[in-house]
Amino acid sequence: MTAARLSVHDLAKTYDTGTRQVHAIDKLNFTVEAGELLCVVGPSGCGKTTLLRSIAGLLRPTSGRLEVDGQPVDGTPPGTAVVFQEYGRSLFPWMRVADNIALVLRDNGIRSAERRERVREALDQVGLADTARAYPWQLSGGMQQRVAIARALAYRPRLLLMDEPFAAVDAQTRADLEDLVYRLWRDLGVTIVFITHDIDEAVYLGQRVLVLSAEPARVREEIAIDLPAERDQLATRADPRFIELRTQIQQHIRDSGR
Amino acid sequence: MTLRTVLWRLVTWFGLPVVLVAAWWFGSEGSRSFYWPPLTEILRTFTQLWTPERWAADVLPSLGRLAAGYAAAALLGVGIGVAIGLWWRLRAIAEPVLEFFRAIPPPVLVPVIMLFAGIGDGMKIAVIVSGCVWPILLNTVAGVRAIDPIQRDTCAVFATRPLTRLRRLVLPAAAPHIVTGMRQALSIGIILMVISEMFAAHSGLGFAIVQFQRGFEIPEMWSGIILLGLIGVALSGAFALAERRVLAWYHGMRRAEGSR
Amino acid sequence: MTSAPRRTARLTYGLAGVGCALVLAEALPRMGIVDPRHLPPTSRIAAALAAELGRSGFWLAVADTVAAWAQGLAIAVVAGVACGVVIATVPGLRAVTASTIEFLRPIPSVALIPLAILLLGTDIRSTLLLVVYASFWQVLVQVVAGIHDIDPVAADTARAFRLSAPQRIWHLALPTALPYVLTGVRLAASVALVLAVTAELVIGAPGLGQEISVAMTAGAVPRMYALIAVAGVLGVAVNLAARGTEHRLLRWHPSVREEATA
Repeated sequence: MTAARLSVHDLAKTYDTGTRQVHAIDKLNFTVEAGELLCVVGPSGCGKTTLLRSIAGLLRPTSGRLEVDGQPVDGTPPGTAVVFQEYGRSLFPWMRVADNIALVLRDNGIRSAERRERVREALDQVGLADTARAYPWQLSGGMQQRVAIARALAYRPRLLLMDEPFAAVDAQTRADLEDLVYRLWRDLGVTIVFITHDIDEAVYLGQRVLVLSAEPARVREEIAIDLPAERDQLATRADPRFIELRTQIQQHIRDSGR
Repeated sequence: MTLRTVLWRLVTWFGLPVVLVAAWWFGSEGSRSFYWPPLTEILRTFTQLWTPERWAADVLPSLGRLAAGYAAAALLGVGIGVAIGLWWRLRAIAEPVLEFFRAIPPPVLVPVIMLFAGIGDGMKIAVIVSGCVWPILLNTVAGVRAIDPIQRDTCAVFATRPLTRLRRLVLPAAAPHIVTGMRQALSIGIILMVISEMFAAHSGLGFAIVQFQRGFEIPEMWSGIILLGLIGVALSGAFALAERRVLAWYHGMRRAEGSR
Repeated sequence: MTSAPRRTARLTYGLAGVGCALVLAEALPRMGIVDPRHLPPTSRIAAALAAELGRSGFWLAVADTVAAWAQGLAIAVVAGVACGVVIATVPGLRAVTASTIEFLRPIPSVALIPLAILLLGTDIRSTLLLVVYASFWQVLVQVVAGIHDIDPVAADTARAFRLSAPQRIWHLALPTALPYVLTGVRLAASVALVLAVTAELVIGAPGLGQEISVAMTAGAVPRMYALIAVAGVLGVAVNLAARGTEHRLLRWHPSVREEATA
């Protein structure tokens, strides 16, 4: 049996804010299979972002360990891409869109011709083929987030982490971006860990949903989403099973303490 | 752009200066005062005095030294500034000492530099560096420290190499601050260029002006002062043009944000 | 928020840095790596400084420098604020004066040195000419920018509610313009000290700069270094005082304070 793409064992993170100690995560355990789309929800401030940053190697866990494809990892797991919530700040304003995407391909021994090809392909996949020469600040918020997604895709990541990526865009743009992520996941088979506070979004996108407890975060519940593979913003969200699942999750979150 | 707007722009831009120059011209017309010769005489002296030979002998060496000192200060200031900005320990060690040295008025260091470097070109360039390096260094530190943590996280996650990070993240992100420092350094550099020549020199613009003053050659002195002013303005203008190109992305971004 | 361990670490590193610098400055000349005629050991400089501190002439010189700095700064601030307010409030004046200001501003104040020597001689008036000329522009530019930054909607509201002129100034003009003005004063204070000491050094007006010049011609190197160190201390004092006042004044006006915390 092949090892899971990502295994998290007994992950714990405590940090010091200068005035008090915060136990953000306590003995978190879960796995993500290759090609899976896992959503993580939890009450506000429960440590979801701390979890993602720990997996991404931006924070050192206080204890516990991570394994990618069976190999233990220290720091950023190789082949990990992140899409941050603050799209406006994660793209570099002094570079054009194409250069922003090409930047992450630079140090991996990829020749410039192939770099250009990957950039073009990634922009095609997110529907922004003609923005290559634009600067990020010339684009709308939704388009900037698409560029961030394109950058992650061009990287051909083994693991894609998304930290509440659509929390800062308007509802209509969010619906379009959700469908984009779902379609890309279906077409490319990327392994995705998707953090969100929006329960509807988690049920809409995920194959499985992890519900975290309040701080210190633990896995409170793991729910398999047995909705049909074809997702549609209107039809799926009206599906009785969808409503059942989201109510279940909301109940868990409410019970886990505010 | 209509003819009316063009005319309006010309009037507002040149209006007051023309009035002031005219006032100076006519006000000093028949002047017999020793220290305030007529503007016509000053301008006549200007064209007679500042020949191409004089330029080559006095003005170009001064500007050359300014360029050398400014470039050296930029390299030092940015280099050290980036290091201090990135490593908090280095900053903690260096900060008190740097705060003291940068508070010393640069001209006061001229005697010290003369001890080490004599009175040649090296001394003058060292004086310019000693004054110009501070605004560049301090602004570079501020710029590096102000780099958005999300941008740093992006580079960390996507495993960019340190040299790539320096070229594509640190320097461009800090560029607005660095340019501010370089603008301040330019004014300081011009001042120190002149002062270093007032102390001990055989040639140079500052040297020439002091010679005129000591020899009571008043119209020549005035012409020198005017030339110095013109050079200051010209360098300032050149800097503004260069800045607009280098920071085009920054100005574009600010405009886009302002209109949102 | 920096944690307590981080803050103590920074303090220790800072002290280590200062200590290292002092040790180097003492050791290098003694070991002959640096010519002790160019850089005397710190102990000798400290001794010269102690001698200076006991000399009334030294304190007079410091007083002269501080007096020139203070007077020049005061004149520059008053003139800068007055001209800035007029230029910013009289409609059209800003556009008309823009080119003149942009032309005069970059002219180095040292260009005035020969003029000052001829016209005003070698007393404090020469120093003041240089100090005021250089500091004035710092204040003027900031005041104009500050008043220009006043929210036009808020200004209209104030007028609609028929607020009196003093009320408009207190609630509207002051909070917006104050940070700019204080930045201008801070920059001007720094520039004023540099020009004051420069004028004394080059022209020979009474003050710290002139003492340094005398020490230089007399070849009294430790004394020269000691006086330069004093100039540095003055510079640090001016920087700290300016930043402290800025901090204090900005926290005192209620609406500015609210904005700062928002």
